Amino acid sequence: MATVEFRVGARAHIVVDSDVCRSCTTKACVSACPANLFAPTSDGGILFNYEQCFECGTCYMVCNSEGAIEWTYPDGGQGVVFRHG
Amino acid sequence: MADGGQGPAPAPVGPSPVGPLVVACLDPADLRQEVDPLTGEVRADWRRADLSASDGAALEHSLRAAEAWGGTVLALAAGPPGLDPVLEQAVALGARALRVPWSDAHSGPAVDAVALAAALAAAISQAGPPALVVCGDRSPSRGIGAVPALIAHHLGAEQALGLVSLTVDQSSQVVIAERRLDGGWRERLRVRAPAVCSVEAAGVRLRRAPFAAALRSSGQPIPVAASQSGVASTGAQLRIGGPRPYRPRTKAVAPPMGGTHDRLLALTGVLVAHDPPRIVGPLGPVEAAGELLDFLDGHGYSPPSGPAQ
Amino acid sequence: MADTPSPDSFDAIVVGAGPAGSAAALALARAGRSVVIIERGPFPGSKNVYGGVVYARVLDDVIPNWWEQVPVQRWVVRRSTMVMTGSQAVTVDVRTQAWGRPPYNGMTVYRADFDSWLADQAVAAGASLVTSTVATGLVRDGTGRVTGVRTDRPGGDLASRVVIACDGVNSFLAKEAGLLPKADAAHHTLGVKEVLALPAEVIEDRFGLAPGEGLDIEMIGCTRGIPGGGFLYTNRDTVNVGVVVSLTGLAASGVRPEELIADLKEHPAVAPWLRGAAVKEYGAHLIPEGGYDAMPALAADGFLVAGDAAGMTLAAGLWLEGVNFAIGAGLAAGRAAAAAIAQGDVTAAGLAGYRKALEANFVLQDHKRLRGAPQLVLSDRMQRQYVQLICDLAEQVFTVTNPEPKPGLVKLLLRGARRHKVRVRDLVRDGIETAKVFR
Repeated sequence: MATVEFRVGARAHIVVDSDVCRSCTTKACVSACPANLFAPTSDGGILFNYEQCFECGTCYMVCNSEGAIEWTYPDGGQGVVFRHG
Repeated sequence: MADGGQGPAPAPVGPSPVGPLVVACLDPADLRQEVDPLTGEVRADWRRADLSASDGAALEHSLRAAEAWGGTVLALAAGPPGLDPVLEQAVALGARALRVPWSDAHSGPAVDAVALAAALAAAISQAGPPALVVCGDRSPSRGIGAVPALIAHHLGAEQALGLVSLTVDQSSQVVIAERRLDGGWRERLRVRAPAVCSVEAAGVRLRRAPFAAALRSSGQPIPVAASQSGVASTGAQLRIGGPRPYRPRTKAVAPPMGGTHDRLLALTGVLVAHDPPRIVGPLGPVEAAGELLDFLDGHGYSPPSGPAQ
Repeated sequence: MADTPSPDSFDAIVVGAGPAGSAAALALARAGRSVVIIERGPFPGSKNVYGGVVYARVLDDVIPNWWEQVPVQRWVVRRSTMVMTGSQAVTVDVRTQAWGRPPYNGMTVYRADFDSWLADQAVAAGASLVTSTVATGLVRDGTGRVTGVRTDRPGGDLASRVVIACDGVNSFLAKEAGLLPKADAAHHTLGVKEVLALPAEVIEDRFGLAPGEGLDIEMIGCTRGIPGGGFLYTNRDTVNVGVVVSLTGLAASGVRPEELIADLKEHPAVAPWLRGAAVKEYGAHLIPEGGYDAMPALAADGFLVAGDAAGMTLAAGLWLEGVNFAIGAGLAAGRAAAAAIAQGDVTAAGLAGYRKALEANFVLQDHKRLRGAPQLVLSDRMQRQYVQLICDLAEQVFTVTNPEPKPGLVKLLLRGARRHKVRVRDLVRDGIETAKVFR
């Protein structure tokens, strides 16, 4: 992750509702996120980061519980900046 | 818009100056420069120049100070025309902009900070007597950080550097600045205008420009300061030597544990098999070199055979 | 351009300064329309990652001699397809020097450079570009017609007669317009890639290239059985290595995407190429691989969709293209929007020229012809059994078993089929299906 520039915005563009996650058995976001931003917590919820996000959208696409992951683009000019994409 | 004045000083773009002049002295740079680990060569893409976090804070503080005083902001940067898009951002926020042409402004520590500061100070003076000059206290362009102090020297202004907060007193031309001290303490300074302040990226973020202003400013020509006679670069104040291999520090080894006997054995190594020292000389240079190479070879230090890929 | 845009109303707003958006804006600006491109990154291309090669002949009639100015890394003269298992690889390698001369075929680029260049062409033609601005939603009138976009800048509601959404694979605008489902894992793949630094001469030595020449390898069978594939291509002084995997397959497997790249980099056929290379960038992006059948409606009242937002990436096994489809669709969208504005009818019916133009050129014709390809390429038999079958067959054909005589090819094929539980019936049926899809 240290190879990529991230301009971290003040607003979290990913928000996870852990109450929904507690009933989720697959937690596909944990393994599928290419930036490894999601970590399961001992109480069955999900701890999430937004700072080093590639903004790919994998997490909300693989999420099987509607409404658990709220995903928007970061504010203009913030977020990942690829130089060699 | 600029008044189109044809005097010796080009009119900076943006609203015409009213009230006290607040200068945001910016150092746009490629925020992600690559350093070659072997040669130390720095690769930067100046088309990607942008404001660093502390330069963003400097511009935001300038805008706030100008609002409080009813003054205007001049965004100033030294460098090639490639920096203009960054200055356009400042124009979109209501500032005037001016670029000081400077070819080696981004050559890192080798930049001639004295000459650069003189050129910046001359450009500031040309725009009018400043009430406040705000700089970012850190830039990825790898300068040595002397420019703000040198500008203060040239302008004969007070200086307060490395600030975490900066507010201006609306009624008087006084700046209230806060600076970190050791041990979690802070000092609060009252600085009289004219002043040069450098700010950390703390507490504020640069505001977003309204869409219409961003659209208007995009592609607008940024005026260039007249070149200054007498501030030509006199060469770098700091000399940079060639890159050298990394030499790690001596490794500290923990003392052996256990009883006296065990410690003694461990320290002297009497029961550990080892090659006894051997006297090989005196030898001629060729034989001596051969001996050394054989020794290195035998201890796993042999150089890779054949030319490296 | 005919007139300077007034700050709050445009003929057209293009959302996203990728290949589709810049092409659309270029076409509109050339038609004399006021157009603004809104880009959420600090510069065009800063959010984009792609998997290999740009085929830019589509630019021939809009930017003559584009190859003299495009920020190219290498011209692709070698195109390989590699079928591999953990310890085997069978490669079909195509090389032609004709691809290294104008008008060229494919090129490798950095998207930050290429997308910025294409956006510059649009700006030079008279379009406006505002970066660091997210289009957060659509503005619609009482009838549901799209009349502008909301942005996240202060005072950022903009009005226009047509909005062209080129906002990429996650297109929230197409979703808001009801053209795309909110989440659709079945029709998307995840691409992850590493940019690895190697000196240009080393790249040229290892891959048998002359300066300026490039190589593109597509691989199948390197993703631990997760439907997908791998790729490797050369830039001037970097090599890009990555994998593309189906989202549903990835989620079900529990494998982390970067493990797949690590596997690929350690593969005995790949590792020697990458020896001593240092990671320069790691990135990830979604790819819409649904093909023709998963494409949304391309127009609504006052609204067009192009590029990844419309799922226009062609992932058909032999052909893996996207940027050219985005440019083709963007140009068509821009021209159709300009024509509709000139006619004064920007309803879906007035904008129908867009789909007609795409059906008349490669964009929809290729997609329609290859509509069955994504499913076929990502099918389990293709991904696992046939890969092993091909590798084993090739290995055994060239294994000299003296003093035993050589076995016949049919015998080897049948033996392999038995070993990998491939029924001859399926083999024949898939053969016919493949012939039908790629006819």
